[in-house]
Amino acid sequence: MKAPRAARFGVPLALAGLVLVAGVLIPGFMSRANLTTILLHVSINGIIALGCTFVIITAGIDLSVGSVVGFAGVLTAATLTSGAVLRLLGPAGAAVAAGLVGIAAGAAVGLLNGSVVSRLGVAPFIVTLATMTAARGAARLVTGGVPIGFPDPGDPLYGGKVAALDALHAVGGGRIPVPGLPTGFPVPALVMLALVAAGAFILARTRFGRHVYAVGGNEEASRLSGVAVARIKLGTYAISGGCAGLAAVLLVGQLRSGGPDTGMLYELNAIAAAVIGGTSLFGGIGTAYGALTGALLIGVLNNGLDLLGVQSFWQEIAKGVIILLAVLFDVWMKRADARRRARAGRT
Amino acid sequence: MSSSTHAAVRQPAPPLLTLSAVTKRFPGVVALDAVDLTVHAGRVHALIGENGAGKSTLLKIVAGADRPDAGTVELDGKPVRFSEPRDALNVGITVIYQELSLVPQLDAEANIFLGMEPARHGVLDRRTLAGRAREALRTLGANFDAGTPAGELSVAEQQLVELARALARDARLIALDEPTAALSHLETERLFEQIRNLCARGIGVIFVSHRLEEIRRIADEITVLRDGRRVFTGPATAVDDAGLIRHMVGRDVEYARLPSAVPSSDQPLLEARALGKGRSFADVSLRVRRGEIVGLAGLVGAGRTEVARCIAGADTLDAGTMTLAGAPYRPSSPRDAITRGVVYLPEDRKTQGLVLGMSVRENVTLATLQRFSRYGVILLPAERAAASRQTIAVELRPPEIERNAGTLSGGNQQKVVLAKWLLADADLLIFDEPTRGVDVATKAELHRLIRALADAGKAVLVISSELPEVLALADRIVVMREGRVAGELPASAATAEGVLALALPAAHAA
Repeated sequence: MKAPRAARFGVPLALAGLVLVAGVLIPGFMSRANLTTILLHVSINGIIALGCTFVIITAGIDLSVGSVVGFAGVLTAATLTSGAVLRLLGPAGAAVAAGLVGIAAGAAVGLLNGSVVSRLGVAPFIVTLATMTAARGAARLVTGGVPIGFPDPGDPLYGGKVAALDALHAVGGGRIPVPGLPTGFPVPALVMLALVAAGAFILARTRFGRHVYAVGGNEEASRLSGVAVARIKLGTYAISGGCAGLAAVLLVGQLRSGGPDTGMLYELNAIAAAVIGGTSLFGGIGTAYGALTGALLIGVLNNGLDLLGVQSFWQEIAKGVIILLAVLFDVWMKRADARRRARAGRT
Repeated sequence: MSSSTHAAVRQPAPPLLTLSAVTKRFPGVVALDAVDLTVHAGRVHALIGENGAGKSTLLKIVAGADRPDAGTVELDGKPVRFSEPRDALNVGITVIYQELSLVPQLDAEANIFLGMEPARHGVLDRRTLAGRAREALRTLGANFDAGTPAGELSVAEQQLVELARALARDARLIALDEPTAALSHLETERLFEQIRNLCARGIGVIFVSHRLEEIRRIADEITVLRDGRRVFTGPATAVDDAGLIRHMVGRDVEYARLPSAVPSSDQPLLEARALGKGRSFADVSLRVRRGEIVGLAGLVGAGRTEVARCIAGADTLDAGTMTLAGAPYRPSSPRDAITRGVVYLPEDRKTQGLVLGMSVRENVTLATLQRFSRYGVILLPAERAAASRQTIAVELRPPEIERNAGTLSGGNQQKVVLAKWLLADADLLIFDEPTRGVDVATKAELHRLIRALADAGKAVLVISSELPEVLALADRIVVMREGRVAGELPASAATAEGVLALALPAAHAA
């Protein structure tokens, strides 16, 4: 089910308003280059938020995605610069393998989260808090605490490793030439938009998506209706982990390295984007476009305040206020809904 | 038999509690219709009636948890108005519900003083608290340690903690909602002894129970409620058990009997033998044939819903075997049961039957979505067509499939649940309280729809606490009592009195 009407239009309207105000007040905001930069900056958070949205619609939560970005990132970078992989597959092949490893690592953590939540019935907050801690530790363990991805010029495979890093950089940091856009269009932003479109289709048009909403809306009624509740939950956590893994791959490409501390607090940004976009933490309500608009709203706000030269401390406060407003809005919509129901029941 | 010492208390003084013409309406139903009730100090007033007669609502009004729409409540002849339970507690009225309201992690003495802890400048006065709690428990003859966490006490002991809490608050009126339901014979005897002690101290008691034999032993007066109205009040000695049952059953709610149009088949579709589950039910055997409606009657808590949930795969059995159309049947989940053609329409539509935030269409197709999708993608036109067809078949009004299910009335919500399962084309449909909270006209429609299912060759099991409904609908009535089958009656031979006599718990076997 979609968000209540006000949430469906309210957040996009707020976003449009913010863009207009920023465009008028801030010189350079409306330039194509700046708008493209915003999209690029938003894409990592947007992709993670999209995955989290699936989980939150089932009334769950995934706190592990930030750590998954770190964990999947170091595995991606390690695969990318591994001599054995390079010798076997060549630079381009290593880049593909590294990308798959990153996504698979994220999905694997997601499957672990989902199994414990759905089969053992442990609260999602606790389960993902545990994997958040453990995945971060695993990332540091694998790397010894330092980033991976800086080949030694004395290494006989130095050239190959640089070529592999370049190959992944073509995705994570690449630009697609677009007429009229001198900087080109960032590939991660394209990936985000494609994923949001796919996510929107899955949620709105597939049986799995319908069941995601049903489980979040009323788990017991869904179970009694024959919905495979455990399988649906497992799927949402796998999607969430997989999205975080993909975000990690893009980041490694962008930065040409994978650091064990990458992705700290990303989970909170992602959850904030989902909630601002109208996804209800009570479950049953939310959309893929909501994750996108939420991430864009945060991105536009950060960018605008950056251009104005506002201290980053103020940016954090502003973001906090917006999250609070979004959640208040959610609660307020719930109440209005309950009132409407009460009225309908009386007639 | 009432103790004769109580008679001495009778004086021209105003009664302790007087309810006059108390009325309470809920959407679509009048829960209490101008009910009078008088409770005297030092006497036990028993309140009896079928499920849904209005006993719980009356207790809630006495407790200040619900406010009456009309009528007055007087204490010592002076009108009182409670806006919350705290107000009633402050004037000495304590209601002890069947679901005890102790904090399991806190010990007995902390529970006794919960909300009124003796304290100096916000710091608990532990010594006073412990002393007074122990004294209250001793008065009640409790022999457990006041430092025991409430969760580790037996039900009977927890009741004593609740009573001690009432005493610590200087209660003048104590209402007990089915206090003996979970007690053993001995525990019941002890409780009665304490109730008599309370009366001797001048406390008035309201005693709600289904056990006529107990009522006869403890009550001074009896009031019978039926369909929200008071139908009898009098001294306990003035009426016998048959008279009480007659009052409880009454005659005024009657539904048109819907006889079977087709003879039911000889072979049972579902045959259940000696089903059992924990302490919920044991040794339950029943059979349901195609074309037949079997009514499952009994009081709330008799184990009917628990049996139904096991048949539908929502819970798992501990004991017994089932066959479905001759083949072994032991569902591991509702999903499993649905694929075998067994579906369950739960008692609570809002929490178990519907996803309230979803549209009628999405609810109707929830159980059968794979039929309206290809490669996992939903075929919207097919889904819409099916949802429309079913909502028309169940006479949903208006038949709008995009409406939010949460905005529908109770009767319409039940129709949406029914539409969902009609679409599943099940062989055995289990209805749990199908018309609870539904208006009279819609009730008749639902009855017709249920009969039509049986006539179409389905096997139907209907749980209902409303005797007239069971009598009107069922071809055969199985009566449960305290987790066991108490008897079985063909519709032709069943009367409300007969069913109720089977459903009411017998005296405790010593």
